[in-house]
Amino acid sequence: MPTEFKRGTGDLAGTVTAVVFILLASLALWDTTSMTDSDSYVFPRAIAAAMIVFCILLIGYNLLRGTADGRDTDAVASSGAVSTPRRVGLVAAMLLSSLVMPWTGFLLSGVLAFGAIMLFAMYDPWTPRRRIVFLLAALAVVLGFYTLFSKVLLVPLPVGFWFR
Amino acid sequence: MTGLDYLWQALTPLNLLLALAGVVAGTVIGSLPGLTATMAVAVLVPITFSMEPASALILMGAIYTGAIYGGAYSAILLNTPGTPSAIATTFDGYPMAKRGDGDLAITLACISSVVGGLVGAAFLLGLAPPLAEVALAFGPVEYFWLAVFGLTLISALSDGNLLKGLIGACFGLLLACIGVAEISADIRFTFGSQVLLGGIETVSALIGLYCIPVMIDLVATPDRHLKVTTESKGFRLREALAESWKSKFNLVRSSVIGTLVGILPGAGGSIAGLVAYSEARRSSKRSESFGTGEPEGIQATESANNATVGGGFIPTLVLGIPGTPPDAVILGALLIQGVRTGPSLFTENGAIVYTFIYGLILATVLMLPAGLIIGRYAYKSIITIPKALLVPTVAFMTMIGTYAIRNSISDVVIMIVLGVIGWFLNRFGFSPSPIVLGLILGRIAEQGFVQAWTIGAATEDLTGMFFGRPISLVIIAFTLVSLFYPLIRKRWSMTKGAVNAD
Repeated sequence: MPTEFKRGTGDLAGTVTAVVFILLASLALWDTTSMTDSDSYVFPRAIAAAMIVFCILLIGYNLLRGTADGRDTDAVASSGAVSTPRRVGLVAAMLLSSLVMPWTGFLLSGVLAFGAIMLFAMYDPWTPRRRIVFLLAALAVVLGFYTLFSKVLLVPLPVGFWFR
Repeated sequence: MTGLDYLWQALTPLNLLLALAGVVAGTVIGSLPGLTATMAVAVLVPITFSMEPASALILMGAIYTGAIYGGAYSAILLNTPGTPSAIATTFDGYPMAKRGDGDLAITLACISSVVGGLVGAAFLLGLAPPLAEVALAFGPVEYFWLAVFGLTLISALSDGNLLKGLIGACFGLLLACIGVAEISADIRFTFGSQVLLGGIETVSALIGLYCIPVMIDLVATPDRHLKVTTESKGFRLREALAESWKSKFNLVRSSVIGTLVGILPGAGGSIAGLVAYSEARRSSKRSESFGTGEPEGIQATESANNATVGGGFIPTLVLGIPGTPPDAVILGALLIQGVRTGPSLFTENGAIVYTFIYGLILATVLMLPAGLIIGRYAYKSIITIPKALLVPTVAFMTMIGTYAIRNSISDVVIMIVLGVIGWFLNRFGFSPSPIVLGLILGRIAEQGFVQAWTIGAATEDLTGMFFGRPISLVIIAFTLVSLFYPLIRKRWSMTKGAVNAD
């Protein structure tokens, strides 16, 4: 399994996450009260209860062990600085393009997302040659996959409300 | 007709071409995250309608076997299982790729897939009718215990913190409960949202939990995606063959596990891979290095998942019960062609069945050169492509692949959200693998448990239902051994050390 993430000496983050999971499991338990059939709630109730027990054990273990600093070291063993705005930008670009897809269609939102993510992932200077090559490559990838899925694999990709 | 005649029938130029084309097409489709083996077979099924039944079966079998192998590429190079069967390939494949051994990992995966495919096909050829009985002997309670056995792998996937692994697995099990309950049809954990009614789609959750965190970290630094070595090492075939020979028992055991799990309807390559991985880790002398780039982990998973191809065909052809989801599609295609599956198929339509089995063996053998060449190309592409093109390409592939599973934009959004949750959890020491394990095994465990409980309650023998059936007892024994073997081994080595000291 990937083990890119090294933890610090304490585990405050783990404790906080365990508390969040307890709340989540409690919410699940509450939701099971609306279920009418025992076949529906036996399994999730047992799992939610087990989750709460494991979380309490983890919190207890962390408290006994001490949570000296509680901050996790950064995920990436990088030679340079780690850019949080680029991370946020990537997720935002993917989410936004998915959310506007019903209006813009898969092709346009895909091109926009591809372009935005390319900007976030670029660390080298943009030379004129690089601009042209990357733009052509981006169009080739998006159009290639779009054609493969919509024309060959016959996946009904959304064309977009604006283009109907 | 003798076996040799069927072999010659399978070796016609058309069948050879179909086997090669099927393997190549399947490998390429399987390597794309989101496109599963089922989808690969389903998409290409219409082509087979005008063919002879044996040729059609060879093409579909080749696509299927190629797609299962193709899933290893993205698992090794992008930490994203191309198909659910390749989940356990990520555990050691990606760490190997990160340290610069991605080419070796791909070659190992190819050799293991070929071995697994051949073992599965050999079982199909020689033992299909008696083994089909195993499928019938498996009731709901056996499925429940099999899922529990799979869940014991959590201890191996917990990254040194069993409690966090268990919490992650519970989270995955709860995620699996979202939507309409399979048995009682109650709506669970949707909180009024129609988007969640269909539940969390497993493959899109896999893509989100494994791939999105990798991309989030890729854009954060200018570092290269994978370690690049200066000199080209080629296929590293000799090294991989030597490694495979060293792990021959692991390969054979995992292939047999894959075949047996493949026989069980609905179990599939993901469970086969996970069970084989668990067994390989338990019995390995290097069990501590599993999860950090251990070749034996890749060999176990890849041989097991490809063995499910042959294994899955056993109940499909003998009983007409599809062993794996792609088998269901192939069964449908066969029925359209007028081929009636059942115990008499092997005697009445021996020419079709045996030509197909030899064709499947042929396709598996052809997978070696085809897989090595495609794998080499994929590896070179991933390590040489600039990050500014790699990240958006992978992001676009994940989006279009996820959408294609159920033609749902909601699935794409859920995939991204789960990816972000997975990234945060990973930072806090909660590995994504137990979550995925819970998500996959949750449905099987719940369905088996509730059905077994209902039957047990109706017959007023709950204890006998859960603990009185021979196959269940065997699985329970394996589960206990899997859980406590590390402790027993530690104790045994301590005792041995004390005796030697005396």
